[in-house]
Amino acid sequence: MLRHQDDAPAPAPEPAAPLIELRGIDKTFGTVKALSGLSARVGRGEFVTVVGPSGCGKSTLFNIVAGLEEPDPGGALRFEGRSCHAADLLGRVSFMPQRDLLLPWRNVIDNAILALEIEGRPRKEARAEAMRMLPEFGLAGFEAQYPHQLSGGMRQRVALMRTFLFERDLMLLDEPFGALDALTRALMQRWLLDVWQRHRRTILFITHDVDEAIFLGDRVLVMTARPGALKLEQRIDLPRPRRPDLVTAPEFIRLKRTLLEAIEEESLKSFQVAQENAR
Amino acid sequence: MSAAPALSASPPAAGSGRLARRIGGRVAGLLVVALAWEGLVLLLGIRPFYLPRLSAVLAAILATPGAYAAGFLRTFAETLVGFVTGGAFGVAVAVAFLRLRSLREMVFPLFVVSQTIPVIAFGALVVLWFGNTLIAKAVIAFYLTFFPVTVNALIGLESVDPRQIALMRSFGASPRQILLRLQLPSALPQTFVALRLAASLSLVGAIVGEWFGDTTGLGVLLLQAMYTENVVAIWAALLVSALLGTGFYAAVAFLERRLVFWGAEQ
Ligand SMILES: Nc1ncnc2c1ncn2[C@@H]1O[C@H](COP(=O)(O)OP(=O)(O)OP(=O)(O)O)[C@@H](O)[C@H]1O
Ligand SMILES: [Mg+2]
Repeated sequence: MLRHQDDAPAPAPEPAAPLIELRGIDKTFGTVKALSGLSARVGRGEFVTVVGPSGCGKSTLFNIVAGLEEPDPGGALRFEGRSCHAADLLGRVSFMPQRDLLLPWRNVIDNAILALEIEGRPRKEARAEAMRMLPEFGLAGFEAQYPHQLSGGMRQRVALMRTFLFERDLMLLDEPFGALDALTRALMQRWLLDVWQRHRRTILFITHDVDEAIFLGDRVLVMTARPGALKLEQRIDLPRPRRPDLVTAPEFIRLKRTLLEAIEEESLKSFQVAQENAR
Repeated sequence: MSAAPALSASPPAAGSGRLARRIGGRVAGLLVVALAWEGLVLLLGIRPFYLPRLSAVLAAILATPGAYAAGFLRTFAETLVGFVTGGAFGVAVAVAFLRLRSLREMVFPLFVVSQTIPVIAFGALVVLWFGNTLIAKAVIAFYLTFFPVTVNALIGLESVDPRQIALMRSFGASPRQILLRLQLPSALPQTFVALRLAASLSLVGAIVGEWFGDTTGLGVLLLQAMYTENVVAIWAALLVSALLGTGFYAAVAFLERRLVFWGAEQ
């Protein structure tokens, strides 16, 4: 069940044909090596969560998969079974960055349809589609509000709606609930699972919260300290639909212990490196 | 959620109330100044050569309202043409500079040099080129407008959050879509800072242009009054210029409030 990257070169039994596959990906910024030999695959319809110490290269991984950054030469990137450049993925993956990045001059509806507009969909049609989606995102009645009139949780839901409306097989969510209070966060997690189960997209989800990673994911990827690589891949075989009280189940606690151990080891490493550099 | 309609309904109501109060305050302020002007000149016995009474100035305007109205309209037209073309050109140049670094490095220093030429010297040249026309005056207003707009629009365009651009790119946006949907609107607040400044500057340009020879315009009225040492006429021309300047500035500020309604968010 628990598998280290090094001792799993044998063909792993993947659930479905991978939608996206990374092999030996490196990424260097000047003198900083952000990613080193990262390999991962995400199957169609899977919900994969990614955890790792701060600065280990999680957002960098997302930027590559979103097509915004080209990895260093040498690694292999495959999307829908075909090898490709990162830039080929521009416009083919729906990406939600770490901050909501709503446009202050657009109201809720017009922020939500931004990606559709860029695709060239008529504004009227896109708005109508977004209007239908509002209740599902808890935003009914708020379509004409501007971002500065919304709470943090609502802004985040508008950003999520923008991501969902941009219908692509792969969704990248970078700490979508990071800025929310614990209660809102728990509500949003259940809501996301609900929406995911209905829309059946493939989701890659970054978080700092181990509970969140287990509660949401089919698999949890733990990354090493910088330069980022895959430290541990943990399958989460907890039944769905997942209920809030799941977090107290013994199986959940057991998974959490394993994951925390791995993360702590890596966090400590990056902490020690930082200390040595300071000396 | 039920608070939503109330939320959206309340700001306009409060806004119109605030507006009415603000206008009331302005009018009251103007009345106080007018009364003080009239009263102090009478009370302190100031000679009309230094400061005529407001009533005398207003009477002079009402004696030949046609001349002042024509001057107002003419100068307003010159200012407006120069301001609008200068503003548009300024934004266009800023976009070109944003896209082409080499063009910017080549042309920007030239612009800076051009702006160090005193506007009077430049005015003489422009009138030589374009003759005694409305265009000549508008060109001077244009010259004073476009540079601050270029500088500020460029600052605005460059300060767009790179993560925002990355998000647009991830949606597959073209550079043109990014410009129209993200960069230009983002640069609007910064651009309006320059446009407000340019509102006053373009009027200066138009009036200075008129000094090089014209038959109508507030600058002409001012010059004529000066030659004939008609103090009341000078004050009359001044008052009408102030009206034009304030009105124009207020119009630009109004446009700013309408377009940049989201304020200093971010
Ligand atoms: N464009 C860039 N230029 C230079 N260095 C970069 C760039 N992007 C990321 N880095 C560096 O790469 C490393 C990984 O950054 P990244 O943002 O991917 O980390 P992260 O895991 O997302 O961190 P966090 O959990 O804090 O969000 C960091 O050391 C960062 O400084
Ligand atoms: Mg990050």
